[in-house]
Amino acid sequence: MDDPNKVWPTGLTVGESEELHRNIIQGTQIFGMIAALAHLLAYIYSPWLK
Amino acid sequence: MPGVADPQCSRAMNPISHKVMRAWADLGPGFLPFADAATADVPLSRLLRLSLFQVSVGMAMVLIVGTLNRVMIVELGVAASVVAVMISLPVLYAPFRTLVGFRSDTHRSALGWKRVPFIWMGTMLQFGGLAIMPFALLVLSGGGNAAAWPSWIGPLCAGLAFLLVGAGLHTIQTAGLALATDLVPAESRPTVVGLMYVMLLLGTVVSAVIFGVLLVDFSPGRLVQVIQGAAVTTIVLNIVALWKQETRRPPRNNGAASVPRPSFREAWGRFIAGDHAMRRLVAIVLGTIAFTMQDVLLEPYGGQVLGMTVAQTTLLTATLAAGGLFGFAFASRTLSRGADPFRMAVAAALVGIPAFGIVILAGPLQSLPLFVGGVFLLGFGGGVFGHGTLTASMSLAPRDQVGLALGAWGAAQATAAGVGVALGGIIRDLVAAVAGREMLGPALTGPATGYTAVYCIEIALLLATVVVMLPLVGGKRNVSFAGS
Repeated sequence: MDDPNKVWPTGLTVGESEELHRNIIQGTQIFGMIAALAHLLAYIYSPWLK
Repeated sequence: MPGVADPQCSRAMNPISHKVMRAWADLGPGFLPFADAATADVPLSRLLRLSLFQVSVGMAMVLIVGTLNRVMIVELGVAASVVAVMISLPVLYAPFRTLVGFRSDTHRSALGWKRVPFIWMGTMLQFGGLAIMPFALLVLSGGGNAAAWPSWIGPLCAGLAFLLVGAGLHTIQTAGLALATDLVPAESRPTVVGLMYVMLLLGTVVSAVIFGVLLVDFSPGRLVQVIQGAAVTTIVLNIVALWKQETRRPPRNNGAASVPRPSFREAWGRFIAGDHAMRRLVAIVLGTIAFTMQDVLLEPYGGQVLGMTVAQTTLLTATLAAGGLFGFAFASRTLSRGADPFRMAVAAALVGIPAFGIVILAGPLQSLPLFVGGVFLLGFGGGVFGHGTLTASMSLAPRDQVGLALGAWGAAQATAAGVGVALGGIIRDLVAAVAGREMLGPALTGPATGYTAVYCIEIALLLATVVVMLPLVGGKRNVSFAGS
């Protein structure tokens, strides 16, 4: 509580929250690419299940 | 202890009741294998939870090597050579385990984590690979509308999926084992290694059964459900395994990068200059190749040479696994009492030599019990060897190079296992082809010749392992245990 670097209410420092944010952005990018590729392959196999 | 029993309790109980009471008291740990791995800081429930990452790795391994191997050939009609290339792709990533271990040792994180980011990254890679894999396999098989598209899309995407899963499982296992080493004190490590191995085996066996049951009524839709179900299971298991495990050690003085990070070359140089490090890695490679070359040959050997039925040969895999389980249990028990892990690994190689002899002899004698006994001994020897070398790697790892040391062990072990399986098949085929043309003499034209040649090479490799490993026996073990 007495550490001025910690930000209310999570108690994370700016550096820690930046690292978390970086991981979330990176994870979203990876999952996005995977989802796009999986959809493309599903479309190639069976165009929207037609 | 009976000698210091509570006097009130002793007065109230006759000797028989006292003995029964003792039996009840001992029943708990007896029925809870690895209960002695737990410590006050790391209770058994936490260790079991951590070991779930091994279940996810085992699940991915059996899916690639076992289930999809068969599905691609039988149900999807993919050429066997393409399948062989696909399932060998994950091994390509195995040498990079050293790099993953090094990176996790030197990872700079504001949150103070070294292993968690790598296990999480590995989990995402494995999830990603499994998420695109079913569609990639369906396109690879040329089914549905796939024939209307360029033919390179299928192999490329299937290859990518297998590579992603391989990269994921090797990263998860390396960082996970390093985390386990960080968490437990030196004296509990042998039992923790046993627990990790058993959970890997458990993940493999249970997943194989579940995949088998789910894919009985095969359809493309069911394939998508099963593989993507495995992807979700990976995420769930690894999040549960990771949750609140690693102690956060945020960098002091606001994470200033004052201490330069060593390069991989420097760190590797320091590691390999350590106590017999190269000799240990060579011994691990030789021993692992020796214990894995027969992996894909035992079942066809049973069928072709001993006339076993398909159901009987499937039981051989179970026998091998049971031998491995006994090996892990035996090694955990002996090593946690302070035995030398290298002595144990040498003993395992010495068990393997007669085991291969028994398997070879079972052919001409046409003895099924002899063959099954030999297979069990092979499983036992392989289990003890793996356990001994991993325990030694953990206990000899310098405190700041735990990840690198376990990465090097994993890289040597996983690469050697992949090479061993491939070599076993290739050598058997080559020798069988040469023997079939009577180039080795008329006495060696039988179906057993190719297999026997591989088993003889394995005996020679085990002898070489013993020779390489003998100088390590009784080395600096006590110093390292005390210092780690």
